[in-house]
Amino acid sequence: MSEARSAKPLIVRKLIVDERNELFDARAMRSLEFVSDFSRIREYAAVILEPCPDAFKEGSLLEQQLSEIIKNGIKHGNRCDPSKRLRVWFDFRKRVRFIVEDEGEGFAGLDDWNDFYRRRQEALHNQDLDAFLALASYRGPRSDDSDGGNSLIAALEYWNGGMIYNEARNKVGVVRWYTGGSAHGAERSTTR
Amino acid sequence: MEWKCVSPGDRPDGEIVLSGDFDLYNAPRFSAYALRGIADGWTGLTLDMGGVEYLDSTGVGSIIRLSQALRAKGGRLRVRGLNDTPRRVLKLSNILPIIEEIR
Repeated sequence: MSEARSAKPLIVRKLIVDERNELFDARAMRSLEFVSDFSRIREYAAVILEPCPDAFKEGSLLEQQLSEIIKNGIKHGNRCDPSKRLRVWFDFRKRVRFIVEDEGEGFAGLDDWNDFYRRRQEALHNQDLDAFLALASYRGPRSDDSDGGNSLIAALEYWNGGMIYNEARNKVGVVRWYTGGSAHGAERSTTR
Repeated sequence: MEWKCVSPGDRPDGEIVLSGDFDLYNAPRFSAYALRGIADGWTGLTLDMGGVEYLDSTGVGSIIRLSQALRAKGGRLRVRGLNDTPRRVLKLSNILPIIEEIR
């Protein structure tokens, strides 16, 4: 990476708060509830994805992206408090949609994260490797070794139909669209 | 995830072969191991990731930390054998520019 500006346009996405966004419309979505057990995050993602068509899974990419959202809810939202639940709504008809709600205090660092991401993208755009490396991972006040600090960066790219937070910032709605997707999924609500 | 250091002890560059899931449950232990190798003398490091099919943000964070540590010593992280999904995760995370991919 040389110290020159990229010819590509600078694109800076943002985490958005929009309580009334249609991504929070849970009608006709199935749902599951989970205890806040850090050791079971990937297991929870696998359970949710059992009815998901293979064509939407893209290898393990969907499982990975869903696991990141579950991890954020259990670890940063509920702080692994076993008395707090994580609720996940899901819908695999024509596209993949999730709503994930924790019982925590909300993502207080959302605006700081948007500022971090803007500076990171600018460093990348300017091909400033030292600045980019210094900004490669987001570190919040409670970040530790199990926080890569980049899950939301990938999430903003992956959830190509949107990634929206509610006003309390403890609930996120996401959607990924696929070219040529087909209708799947039944409608029921389950508590686990 | 399992890993094995395959570089001869008298070389300044380390090489580690990884297999399994490079995820939130394994990456912190691997980071500690590899960062110790860098602190003890490696000025370059190659990760053979041909046996890794699952990479998450904690694994990406581990790769970033190793890149930062090597950059501070004037070295660079190299990666070999990236499978499709880990490559897509690195691309989504915009991390490919800071690693050197070798065949």
